[in-house]
Amino acid sequence: MKSDSGSGLYKWLDERLPVREVVDYLSKKVVPRHKHSFWYYLGGLTLFFFVIQIITGLLLSIYYKPSPDEAYESVRTIVNEVPFGWLIRSLHSWAANLMVGALFIHMFSVFLMKSYRKPRELMWVSGVLLLFLILGFGFTGYLLPWDTMAYFATLIGTEIPKTVPIIGDWGVSLLKGGDEIGAETLTRMYSIHIIILPLITIMAVSFHLLVNQVLGSSVPIGTVVKQPPIRFFPNFLYRDVISWTIGLIALLGLAILLPWGLGEKADPLASAPVGIKPEWYFLPLFQSLKFAPSNIFGISGELLTNLLVGVLSIVWLSIPFLDRKASREEQSPLFTTFGILLILYLLVTITMAYTTA
Amino acid sequence: MKFITPRKNAVAAVESLRLGSISEIASNSAKIYRFNKEPIIVVHTETGQFKAFSARCTHLGCVVQYTTEGIPRFKCNCHQSEFDLNGNNIAGPAPLPLPPLRVTLQDSSIVVSKV
Repeated sequence: MKSDSGSGLYKWLDERLPVREVVDYLSKKVVPRHKHSFWYYLGGLTLFFFVIQIITGLLLSIYYKPSPDEAYESVRTIVNEVPFGWLIRSLHSWAANLMVGALFIHMFSVFLMKSYRKPRELMWVSGVLLLFLILGFGFTGYLLPWDTMAYFATLIGTEIPKTVPIIGDWGVSLLKGGDEIGAETLTRMYSIHIIILPLITIMAVSFHLLVNQVLGSSVPIGTVVKQPPIRFFPNFLYRDVISWTIGLIALLGLAILLPWGLGEKADPLASAPVGIKPEWYFLPLFQSLKFAPSNIFGISGELLTNLLVGVLSIVWLSIPFLDRKASREEQSPLFTTFGILLILYLLVTITMAYTTA
Repeated sequence: MKFITPRKNAVAAVESLRLGSISEIASNSAKIYRFNKEPIIVVHTETGQFKAFSARCTHLGCVVQYTTEGIPRFKCNCHQSEFDLNGNNIAGPAPLPLPPLRVTLQDSSIVVSKV
């Protein structure tokens, strides 16, 4: 397409911005087609749920009041009095869970297909950072309704860093905004949830997508590509839209048939309720803290659990730089086994947390 | 960093506090009060003693509850730590006993003070 053709708006934009180059690039971009292509759509689906989160979050922020005296009542007003408020809140809560679920499937499919190998190391690193950011959204958003479950989940979560030497107590105080979970904690969590994390996440998502556009999708090692690639625009995007539609139907079904509940208002003087659990994606950590004895060779169980999680996070972030075989286009069964064991650990701990007292 | 570091609490901590009448806590039950902004649990044992401890589980800070299912004890529902009526650990991942407080009865009132 030349700059002197097309609609008036296109011509106007093309004279000022490199629109033609972008359109040319997208029209030539292709996506490989093979027996594992299905997994390519999970990244787009995660992004779709993130967009739903932004829209529903903005709508909820119109009515939400971030103070211990008003937070619970404002959520109750949203649910009971604001037209479609219950639906917007239910969509926000369910989309958060579906987003984390899609993200985990996307991440492990990328891991098992070794798509992190050279030259896509930065895609993996930005993707793992996005995982931490999304978990941060889950943690900071959980307190906002100020109900009992939210209060104790945040209490546990903010206490976890306390065993870290030197900066532990400071870290806990920084998260809580003081000595206890209160007004300062709520405003900090709210600010992080609606301003700080979205800003960083949008930048990280943009970088992740940019690298994906430049490098394209990876073909798993040893996979025979028999079919010709499909064009990104419109063919791949069309399939993306189908996956988003399926995601939207699932989301609406869950939000309408199983509206997200609101517990009792948080009471800092009440005992933690029986059966208290965080959201499913924090259950592996929750269960691991339960497994850990109080002392192991003189080291506190909490500290040891924190150390293990910290080391595991660094290893996970560094996978492309550790798996040298994959970068040489060779099979790396050791890393595949590591990934499968990690998936099994997550599934077993989540199941145990749901089935045991 | 200073900007985001929480300010120190300006309210001075008290050494002791009169909580209320002993009749507020029936035998073999407990009640949670606030002492220097922290929850404390005061138990009236079957043998008629009054004991008080910090109600924060020493694992990750959840508020414990008094239970009479089985032997009377304090239990944390977050990670299932348990403490006997002297505050000592008897089960679960909590690393330390519940910090005790001194209880005195003055004119039928419960008074707690720092140990």
